[in-house]
Amino acid sequence: MRELGLVGAIAIAAGVGSYYVTGEFGRFGQVNVALGGLALALYAVRALGRMRRLGGTPVARRMLTTRAALLVAVVAAAVALERGAARLDLRWDWTLDRRHELSPASRDALAALPDGLVATLYYDAEDPRIRGTRLLLESFATSGRVQVRERVLDDALEDLDRFGISSSNSVLLEVDDRWELVGRPSEGTVWEALERLRALERRTVVYYARGAGEGNLLRSDALGFSGLAAALQTEGYRVRDLVMAATDAIPQDAAALLAIAPERPWREESVALVDGYLAGGGGLVALLEPGRETGLEPLLERWGFETPDAVVVDPASGPIEGGAPGVNPLAHAYDRDHPITKPLDANRMAFFLGARPVRAARKPEPEDRLSVLVHSSPRAWLSRDFERIARGLPPQDRDGAPDDRHPLASAGRYPRGEREARVVVFGDSRFASNGHLRALFNLDLILNSVNWVAQRAEGRLTRRPNILTEIQQPLTPQESLRMFYGVGLLIPELLLMAAAIAWLRQRSA
Amino acid sequence: MATDDPTRERRGCRIQARELTRRFGDHVALDALSLDVAPGEAFGLLGANGAGKTTFIRLVTGYLVPTTGEVTIDGLSPGGAPQAVHARIGYVAETSRIYPELRVRGFLRFAGGVRGLAGDVLHEAVERTLERFSLRDVAGRMVGNLSKGYQQRVSLAQGFLHDPPLVIVDEPSSGLDPLQQGEVRAVLGAAGGERTVLLCTHDLAEARELTQRVAVLRAGRLVALGRTEEVLGGDPLALFREDGAP
Amino acid sequence: MIPLRALIRKELAVLFTSPVAYLTLAMVGVVTALVFFDHLRVYNQTLFVWASTTMGGFETDTIPDYINLRTLVFLPVMEQLALMFIGLVPLVTMRVFSEERARGTDELLATTQLSPNQIVAGKFLVAYLFVAIMLAVSFVYPATSIVTAGLGLKHLVAVYVGLFTLGIGIASIGLVCSAWTTSQLVAAVSAYAVAFVVYDFSWATAFVRDRESLASLLDAISIHPRFGGFAEGLVIGADVAYFAALALVCFGLARVSLDLERVR
Repeated sequence: MRELGLVGAIAIAAGVGSYYVTGEFGRFGQVNVALGGLALALYAVRALGRMRRLGGTPVARRMLTTRAALLVAVVAAAVALERGAARLDLRWDWTLDRRHELSPASRDALAALPDGLVATLYYDAEDPRIRGTRLLLESFATSGRVQVRERVLDDALEDLDRFGISSSNSVLLEVDDRWELVGRPSEGTVWEALERLRALERRTVVYYARGAGEGNLLRSDALGFSGLAAALQTEGYRVRDLVMAATDAIPQDAAALLAIAPERPWREESVALVDGYLAGGGGLVALLEPGRETGLEPLLERWGFETPDAVVVDPASGPIEGGAPGVNPLAHAYDRDHPITKPLDANRMAFFLGARPVRAARKPEPEDRLSVLVHSSPRAWLSRDFERIARGLPPQDRDGAPDDRHPLASAGRYPRGEREARVVVFGDSRFASNGHLRALFNLDLILNSVNWVAQRAEGRLTRRPNILTEIQQPLTPQESLRMFYGVGLLIPELLLMAAAIAWLRQRSA
Repeated sequence: MATDDPTRERRGCRIQARELTRRFGDHVALDALSLDVAPGEAFGLLGANGAGKTTFIRLVTGYLVPTTGEVTIDGLSPGGAPQAVHARIGYVAETSRIYPELRVRGFLRFAGGVRGLAGDVLHEAVERTLERFSLRDVAGRMVGNLSKGYQQRVSLAQGFLHDPPLVIVDEPSSGLDPLQQGEVRAVLGAAGGERTVLLCTHDLAEARELTQRVAVLRAGRLVALGRTEEVLGGDPLALFREDGAP
Repeated sequence: MIPLRALIRKELAVLFTSPVAYLTLAMVGVVTALVFFDHLRVYNQTLFVWASTTMGGFETDTIPDYINLRTLVFLPVMEQLALMFIGLVPLVTMRVFSEERARGTDELLATTQLSPNQIVAGKFLVAYLFVAIMLAVSFVYPATSIVTAGLGLKHLVAVYVGLFTLGIGIASIGLVCSAWTTSQLVAAVSAYAVAFVVYDFSWATAFVRDRESLASLLDAISIHPRFGGFAEGLVIGADVAYFAALALVCFGLARVSLDLERVR
């Protein structure tokens, strides 16, 4: 009879095992599982009969009864444990970019939408990305305001035509009669779609200065700023350019002016325009670069900022992005009271690529308020060795320069009658370029700055979900081979040696 | 060990079995067995293979539960107070019930550890036992690489390691050559001391040499009980036979 | 606790004095290395083909987003590691109880200060420890490459927590099968059968499609879907509890098997 049990187990293992190997549960698997199941059932009947005979005496009966009760209790406890944990819905997001944790911005976007939002995932069963998307939609569903559905692509041909769904792993968001399709679902892309559904007030305009080699919001390569433009549009701004040399006034509808690291110094007339604009309660976000004269420096000094031409070298940050150690500082020391940086903390770092210091030096008027938004570690120092830094080499001009905390960005607010001017100055511009905008929390830092300068409600100063760009850099064949010999073969080799030693010692001892 | 001095104060456990019965399905392995083993006594349990000796031992150790009847050690039931009963027992099962992958000292340390010994007490117990059972020369060797005689010696050593008041020994010389049998008996005789020894054997010479009283089992029933020399005095083999004929 | 400690020490000594443990670990190392580097090779080739076809180098948006280290290397390797566990863990657990029975040493254990709960706990703990060592051997490859490639150490830890809990689940199944037999062969085969059946009930999808409650029940008791969250870097309390519950049930079953011995 034991043979029957063993043969049944082998048949079931082979039958179900075939499914894992071939990916389908075909005739082979079905016949094996059916016959194996039958054999095991017969074996189980016999085993139960034997068990009944075991319980022929009071002592045995008592023991069997208590053990059966114990088993029932254990199973009940196990089910209760799992169900209880499921009800508590405890989740810990251990991904680098916290991709499973809804950001405040997503929660705000959901709260602002009317009830009845439906998210439908269109998928192909073989698509490995589905698991992540399901978890993502689950996070949205736990907010209680989204109903999540799933449809297999082949069963939803009508929807494919209607909504223009072209591939598996697409999410359709529908509310009332509006809909948005998300092609590469991540929290960031879903949030952007939610924002579009939310139809934000698109009244305000952000102007970006042009004409002196400033950062270009139309340029889409890694050095351009098209990502920033798209993010601003998602936030509800219209983004327009402003050729400073050809204008005689900052337009009245400007919520803010962006000046992104001019390569040539602005003319004095342009600077005077901005000065006047600020005096009338305007908003400026200026992004500087070390080693570059922008013409803005005197203006910024009048508004209380000192921007000495040097590079903040922060030894607390290692070599990043091919730069010399410390010249691309990771910054996490924020002003936790300032609305721009309040949503960020030590775990939500920003990342600059060569920054000059921006000191909040002296207030133009007593009621003005200046703040340092973010600064380096206390071990930083200032270098002017631009040439070596540009070549990716460590600067060599330390010569006893003292350690200090150097400000990397500062902000000021200036009440002028009924109006208030606001200025934010960064010592770096590349942190907001396409190549690095989505790195760490750079996006939040720059968008919160624009929103604050544009005097948006503080609720708009938040932390946004990351739109993750997956890592696509290859490991070179040399690197792979080095790893293969370094660890791939070494560890098994050492273990085989241990096995040989154990065998020899066992024989001889 | 097979001395009997009634004036000496007895140490060890009392084993009492009352109407002890154990069935395996339809087979009756032990049938209403009643007997007493006094503290300090070296008691032999004799019978042919399958007579029920090992079943009785397993009921005493609590490894099996009786079908009916009861057995107690110092009044304690192995089912009701297993820890207390096990604390009193040193059990030496048939040969080869050991871990061949362990070294002799390691095995003894394990045997002491699972009986609650630790630290210096364990160390001393192991060293003492290595000495007492003449195992010091093989202390670093794998148990599985030793001769059968040495393996049985190791098995005996673990049973005596924690100095229990009751030692149960099951077929100690089974499968050994005459020389090894002699060695094992000598070791067992020397180690017995002032404790109860329940020796289970089908070897009459072993019983004569090592026990004071014996019980003879046949097909699960008690067929003889008394002082060793009396029970084994006439034609003891007749006691083993099914028909009881000489 | 002294007897339990002695038992654990003995179990470890028995495990590591035989070459089988080292050979199993070496096999884990070799299989992981081959699987990992094979995926890496295919990934590199795919990436270079795309990069040269689009002429865009490795700039963002020129290569489809699913071609990334996480999706094409890390996650599939982890999936295969999980499957490898089903193949290897029963080979380690098969002897744990059945060998004691076959040798008769279970009788020795049963007459010591060890309670049946301690015997089962000691053996379960050592099997879990071995699973952890298997993981440590396989940890090196993903750790060295993925951390440098930016997946994040915590994500890697989440995946390994998932693999460990999954290994615990499979080891628990293997231990129960070992506890209910005296034959190592029967223990291994029955562990394979049970583990295959419950690993992922998607093989039964076609038969339960119309019965939603049964389908969701099978889904809830499947092992593999519980690993999904860990693989994505999300540690879900209910999934951890599931594996703990599975271990608890297996512990209970193994514990009862010791008692049935006494009344057989």
